[in-house]
Amino acid sequence: MRFNFVFREVVTGLRRNVTMTVAMILTTAISLGLLGTGLLAVHTIDQTESLYGDRLEVVVSLTLDVSSRDQDCSQSICAGLQSQLKSSPLVQSVNFENQQQAYARFERLFQGQTLAGLARPQGLPASLRVKLVDPNQTDALRALLQGKVGVSRITDQRDVVERLFSFLRTIRDVVFTLALIEVLAAALLISNMVQLSAYNRRTEVGVMRLVGATRWYTQLPFLLEAAVTGIVGTALAVGSLLMGKALFLDSAISNGFGDGVIPVIQYSDILSVSPWLFLLGIGIASITGYVTLRLYVRL
Amino acid sequence: MIRLEKVSKSYRTSTRPALDQVTVDVGKGEFVFLIGPSGSGKSTFLRLLLREDVPTKGDVFVADWNVAKLPRRKVPRLRQRVGCVFQDFRLLQNKSVAENVAFALEVIGKRASTVQKVVPEVLELVGLAGKANRMPNELSGGEQQRVAVARAFVNRPLVLLADEPTGNLDPDTSQDIMLLLERINRTGTTVLMATHDHSIVDSMRRRVVELDLGRVVRDETRGVYGVGR
Repeated sequence: MRFNFVFREVVTGLRRNVTMTVAMILTTAISLGLLGTGLLAVHTIDQTESLYGDRLEVVVSLTLDVSSRDQDCSQSICAGLQSQLKSSPLVQSVNFENQQQAYARFERLFQGQTLAGLARPQGLPASLRVKLVDPNQTDALRALLQGKVGVSRITDQRDVVERLFSFLRTIRDVVFTLALIEVLAAALLISNMVQLSAYNRRTEVGVMRLVGATRWYTQLPFLLEAAVTGIVGTALAVGSLLMGKALFLDSAISNGFGDGVIPVIQYSDILSVSPWLFLLGIGIASITGYVTLRLYVRL
Repeated sequence: MIRLEKVSKSYRTSTRPALDQVTVDVGKGEFVFLIGPSGSGKSTFLRLLLREDVPTKGDVFVADWNVAKLPRRKVPRLRQRVGCVFQDFRLLQNKSVAENVAFALEVIGKRASTVQKVVPEVLELVGLAGKANRMPNELSGGEQQRVAVARAFVNRPLVLLADEPTGNLDPDTSQDIMLLLERINRTGTTVLMATHDHSIVDSMRRRVVELDLGRVVRDETRGVYGVGR
């Protein structure tokens, strides 16, 4: 194998179709950039879920009469519920919160707002705050407490946070769809480029066939051409993800949600997706190139 | 060296076969003219030898290869031992004379040191030693054909096929090319040349195989082009 010969052919080919090459690099970069964004969104959603999963509880609100009579969960109804919860294999821990504590929490949450002034401790329910072994088992917990005396309401805090997650998931889905369309466009462009390149080099290829160059030798320059554009495109995609994080994302997240609400995407996160992007970029380019050569170009 | 046994070749687009029961045997080191009017099957004959096409019936042998039955991956090996020259030269316009010749060696994976040694030798043989760095468009037709011959010969093929190599050249230049092909023939290479050129065939008095409507109508050891053609 004459590497410098193949290398020279690749460079010549890329230079000859320079506009096509640029278009292909950009399309690859955009499609893989979007795909990378999608993967990072998935990563963020996972991280956010685990961040909140640890803090979130299922709140079992007690009826007001039980709440006002029992300030330390020592009476039969509350104590019965608490011991039943503690003995359940679903439950990791149970904490009782009486009306005074509920009021304190309420005041803290709505500090400075008129709502805070309207509430009275007597109006707020006491509650058993349950942490589950598996946060997805809320329904089993509901079934366990179904129809029990003293229980007014069961609230899964995850339902509230779910709205944030569904927003993130929508972003992810949109980004993935766009990325898919772009990947398709990139594949078509690659196919086009290989055909054009083969047409431009038909004399060379004809001579190569004539003097007995192997199929591998005639095809390799085309495939490498496609692969090189794939690599450069992916490098651009990874570069713009890193730049996007540095320039926009960090400030956008901290301005929009405040620090610590959504976990920040780390540089290492981007670097950990990039091998997949490279694999995909080179893979799509080479496979499309190969299929095009087999189907459309007689070598 | 070349043997066709009852070879027929039909194309789907034509009712008449391009070659019809052709049997020809060419020995090692022979010089053979393949003549006949346009459409008589000369080009098909050459295409079969290069495995550009496969016969509909019959067997084609080149050296020890059963060409028609050669697996695809072995076709390059056949073509490395069969040189080829055309009427339209088929040079790469963006490469110099030396690069054009070197290209034929590079694409079959020959080492750079071999290429550097062999290319000047073959350019010397075809009389282009002083023009190695010229571009094809700076050369005359005859010189361009010499480059093409050099390229076909540089890997020392067993057989050299020439498809109307003098078709685009004036008579004097044609004579030069014929002298060159003769010289190559003297090195032991079998030469098979398809041509329309009466004067060349008549002056060289070599073996002549004449095709007409896909059949061999004449095969003479020291033939001429033929009366009234």
